[in-house]
Amino acid sequence: MTEVKVKKESTDPVDIENRIKELCLQFPHGITDQVIQNDMPHVEVQQRAMAINRLLSVGQLDLLKNSNGLLYRLKDAQSASKVKGSDNQEKLVYQIIEDAGNKGIWTRDIRYKSNLPLTEINKILKNLESKKLIKAVKSVAASKKKVYMLYNLQPDRSVTGGAWYSDQDFESEFVEVLNQQCFKFLQSKAEAARDSKQSPMVQRNSSFATSHEVWKYICELGISKVDLSMEDIETILNTLIFDGKVEMTIIAAKEGTVGSVDGQMKLYRGVNPIIQPTGLVKIPCGLCPVFDDCHEGGEISPSNCVYMAEWLDF
Amino acid sequence: MTTQEVRLCGLLLQEHFGNVVEKVGTHLIRSGVLTLRALAHETKLPLDLVKKSLCVLVQHGMCTFGAGRRGPAGPVEYRINCEHVFHMLRYPRYIYTAKSLYGDTGELIVEEILQRGHMTMSSTVKTVADRLTHNMPEGQSMDYSEVVSVFSQLVETHFLQRCPPLASAGSSSSGAVDTPLPVATQPTEPESHPDCYKLPYINLTGQLLQSKHSSHTKKLFSGQPLCGDDDGIYWQVNFQRFHLHFRDQAIISAVSCKLDQSSSEIVRTMLRMSEVTTPAHAAFTQALSANEIFRALLSSYNIARPILDQYLSLLVDDPMEFVGKTGDSGGGMYVVNLHRALANLARATLESVVQERFGSRSARIFRLLLRKRHLEQKQVEDFAMIPAKEAKDMLYKLLSENLVQLQEIPKTPDYAPSRTFYLYTVNQLPTARLLLQHCYKTVGNLIERRLYETKENKRLLEKSQRIEAILASLQATGAEAAQLTEVEEMITVPERQQLESLRHHINKLDSSENQVDETIFLLKSYINSTQASR
Repeated sequence: MTEVKVKKESTDPVDIENRIKELCLQFPHGITDQVIQNDMPHVEVQQRAMAINRLLSVGQLDLLKNSNGLLYRLKDAQSASKVKGSDNQEKLVYQIIEDAGNKGIWTRDIRYKSNLPLTEINKILKNLESKKLIKAVKSVAASKKKVYMLYNLQPDRSVTGGAWYSDQDFESEFVEVLNQQCFKFLQSKAEAARDSKQSPMVQRNSSFATSHEVWKYICELGISKVDLSMEDIETILNTLIFDGKVEMTIIAAKEGTVGSVDGQMKLYRGVNPIIQPTGLVKIPCGLCPVFDDCHEGGEISPSNCVYMAEWLDF
Repeated sequence: MTTQEVRLCGLLLQEHFGNVVEKVGTHLIRSGVLTLRALAHETKLPLDLVKKSLCVLVQHGMCTFGAGRRGPAGPVEYRINCEHVFHMLRYPRYIYTAKSLYGDTGELIVEEILQRGHMTMSSTVKTVADRLTHNMPEGQSMDYSEVVSVFSQLVETHFLQRCPPLASAGSSSSGAVDTPLPVATQPTEPESHPDCYKLPYINLTGQLLQSKHSSHTKKLFSGQPLCGDDDGIYWQVNFQRFHLHFRDQAIISAVSCKLDQSSSEIVRTMLRMSEVTTPAHAAFTQALSANEIFRALLSSYNIARPILDQYLSLLVDDPMEFVGKTGDSGGGMYVVNLHRALANLARATLESVVQERFGSRSARIFRLLLRKRHLEQKQVEDFAMIPAKEAKDMLYKLLSENLVQLQEIPKTPDYAPSRTFYLYTVNQLPTARLLLQHCYKTVGNLIERRLYETKENKRLLEKSQRIEAILASLQATGAEAAQLTEVEEMITVPERQQLESLRHHINKLDSSENQVDETIFLLKSYINSTQASR
């Protein structure tokens, strides 16, 4: 009777670890405990757990949690080397900041996610900052709030405010200048169309300018140090619409034409206001700051109104 | 009736009719509906004075009467129509419109009827002709028939209408079928009367002659004297028609500002064609085909047919939506969107008030909220591209003036501030009503200031009147130049300057009343149009 010798797979812990690493490479999104079990059914739970723990402590494996359970993912060697020499808590904090990506994360949120006390967090953050692994960026929404992100990342638009903010200050003069330039461009285009004395349809169509044309004009003017995208120009043009000086229509355009976004193009045109300033504002009462306090026989009354006296002598 | 409206009515009544009528009128406005006895008792005025004041008010169409709450058997109740009293502010505008449409004759006809309230045709014609003849140079005179023709033109275009006949009070002796008195709450519409615009036949020929020789004008008649054929047929000014005319003018000027002159001419033609066919509170005019419009266009505008089509399609495409297309028959059926045009004009009025009062950045925020309805504070800052601090300041200022409202949307049932959305919004209709009340108060202020200025300088005015009377009498009796200059010098130079500046002030206050009245008209038309469409 020949004995069927079942070759016993060596349950060497190193082999288990290597096998796990290979599995991670196979599934870059991460593997669950179930996958490891399926692959190596003969390995006992204890040995598996030991191997995983070892990998985690060395820092070659990442532990993640998703809705189904725990996931293990291979950490790339570079980042593994970075946090070498720092203890687990720092690694945890660093991981949280890394996950926040572009937008950065606030200290209170770090505290919630890691469950570490505030003093610890502050120490760790200072440590990481001195190692030049993270940096603090002031948010434009609340000037006291600082968000942390990885050192080499560009902060996201929502934090710095985009093209309109420089060093947390809203550049109102810059916006005003752009506003006026765009308006002048559209107005001169409308006047040229009106003077051309062609048929009314042609006149109106030639007074329109696409957002792309305006963008090109502003870029060529060169008044902006920062590169402006077409969306930026469209926000400026929207403010002109809210000033009542410009109107917009959207037309369907072929996909390939310059400046079209999703098969549409936005056209802008300078317009005149439809009425003259209304009668009420030609009287001091229409603009009076103490209008509600004024009545006959009181301290402020039409008979002794200073504003009216001045206005009458005009 | 708001406080400001009552105050304004009182001032207008006092200015036009005197203190007694003002007292009666204000009391009646405040109380709503009253019987004669109650009115006399509460105002503590003698009965015949109250009767006379009520007569004055009825004559001008401001007061209506009818069977009261106790039914036809009970005493008659009176009520005042505030809108009619406010029309008194607009009299100069009516007269000016009549003048621009029908010349001096039309102006005088409308002026006479406005002053008297109700008039028969014959007396109007006679008075107007006499007045015109008076102002003409010697030897010329105004023919009655010319005045009659202008009068009939005014009636044809519905600017004048017959007063609705009042049902006679039931008298048992006559035995005729009594038409019940109209209930005081429902005034009879003048247009419900079928003969509203029918001219009576009157035999009016002839003219007033002026005699050439002597400085006293001797009045001579030539031709037949007046027949009283139209006794009992009284005419009044049709205010609604004038208002429609003003509304059309506002729409036309808005189109010409926004687009160009030719478009506004086309819109003017369309409105002219639907003047008498469109009911007063309609949201759209009658549909007109492009062929009809082309035929009705005056040849002086020189618009070719294809160009007209282009203009019409441009008008339809315009975001303001003045003109709409309702069909394709006859070259395209077009209507003028009256209610939408009024809403746009009212919105432009609101925006201009905010702009003048608070600055162009606040106006930007206001327009932004009008377009986007509900916005959070952060979104307002982002869209308007105004720094956060300034935007907050402006929003709060607008909020405190009640031009902008705050809407709370809670995330949790306990309305905790940190867990609630606060959205800013602008509602056009309530804001228009608020501004309308401001306008009423402003006009009241202007009138009071004018009365105050006159009172302050009463002594000076009386003195100057006396001097003028003396001068006139001296000139009539043929005095020498030296005497005249001596009398003139009784007014010193600084007094003359003061008089001059006073005249300037009063003129300015008068003209500004008219300007505010334009705003009142726009806002009131808008508010009425939204209520009619509800």
